[in-house]
Amino acid sequence: METVRQVARPVELSVNGQRRTLFVTDNTLLLDVLRDQLGLAGPKEGCGVSACGTCTVLLDGEPVSACLTLVAQLEPNQNILTIEGLSHGGEPDPVQVAFIEESAFQCGYCTPGMIMAVKGLLKENPSPTDAEIRDYLMGNYCRCGAHTDIIRAVHRAAEIIRHNPA
Amino acid sequence: MAIPAFRMHHPKSVKEACRILADLGEDAVPVAGGTALLILMKAGLAAPTHLVNLYGLTELRGLQYDPKVGLRIGAVCTHRSVERHPAVQAHYPMLAETHRRIANVRVRNRATVGGNLAHGDYRLDPPAPLVALDARLKLYGPDGEREIPLAEFFRGYYEVDKGAGEILTEILVPPPAENSRGTYVKFVGNAAADWPILGVAALLRTAKNGQVDDLRIVLSCVAATPLKVSGLDKLTYGRQLSPDCIASVAEAAATQAGPIEDARGSTWYKREMIRVHVRRALEQLSGGSGG
Repeated sequence: METVRQVARPVELSVNGQRRTLFVTDNTLLLDVLRDQLGLAGPKEGCGVSACGTCTVLLDGEPVSACLTLVAQLEPNQNILTIEGLSHGGEPDPVQVAFIEESAFQCGYCTPGMIMAVKGLLKENPSPTDAEIRDYLMGNYCRCGAHTDIIRAVHRAAEIIRHNPA
Repeated sequence: MAIPAFRMHHPKSVKEACRILADLGEDAVPVAGGTALLILMKAGLAAPTHLVNLYGLTELRGLQYDPKVGLRIGAVCTHRSVERHPAVQAHYPMLAETHRRIANVRVRNRATVGGNLAHGDYRLDPPAPLVALDARLKLYGPDGEREIPLAEFFRGYYEVDKGAGEILTEILVPPPAENSRGTYVKFVGNAAADWPILGVAALLRTAKNGQVDDLRIVLSCVAATPLKVSGLDKLTYGRQLSPDCIASVAEAAATQAGPIEDARGSTWYKREMIRVHVRRALEQLSGGSGG
């Protein structure tokens, strides 16, 4: 079998509203670019196989696993949003506020991914039921077991957004 | 987790993708969402030196419904696009429900229908309901285009009828028959997103008086390829789906399956679960309570 010489190529990405030109090899994962090249440590490696959700980021508003997304397959006009891009003018996002108010975490490792998943959920379903929240977040694991508080936080976030429409 | 080095090719058309694949032979693999392939590569189970990116090919996108022709799903449509499509929800509720239950939302946002089928894993959800619906596939390769029934596409564990340089381009589902309804029962034991122990796709067409015209049951997770239960006509045609009738169908399914054992169940256990979940699927279709 032939060996492949890795060549870094320039790619254009839009991350948290900023256009970036980066040099990456074809086998580079989005998670590694975010953490190692852009210093965005919110998304984290958990399972590495898109099961646990700690690396959740939004791609054009939809949750995806950065650990299983090749940068080479992204289009320059696609927008990547990480937890670092959520706040507006220094003010935390309603989902972040709700997580703090409900203490919806313990160790915090799953929190950035969890919050990004909740952003995806509330965008398509502004008033989810408990069952709908459980169903949508079933792929975001919290090993501390903060799920009950997380579900409360989602309801509170939905309420905050309802009272302060963008 | 690092992925072994490879070179990514970005063809501009299906034709070009097919030519690259044919030229490079077995060192090259087509990739769409990558959710299956990249896991294999991370685990060291696959190390292709060339990947051919099909994700950006607009020819392979798009989902159309025509009441006369049926549903056409471009091979790189994501599971999410199928699950949320109004025409799929309206005319193929079983298909929408099946896609909604694949893995988790992040996987469904990237993984594609064509990639799912071409992966050939016996535990995947879409094959059973699509086989029950008589879906067909279009493939494009060095010898041109061909169309085959999906049921004939599956050959064995991770083995599908797709030649060197061939690309799966479309999934075609005939229009739903009148008075037909289907359900997909996914039986999962551990975490919600774990591989299922068993999948049951049941598709029922009834006459005006409620008698069975046609009943199809296709099982996943019990054999190397989706298993279509045979001989159901003899047990059900012209009858009501009574508890006795349902029990006879569940028995036939359990007997025919001779299920393979895997990490999620022994042969004995899977056979018992087939009996239970085929019954539940049919109770659901006949308007019963299930349970």
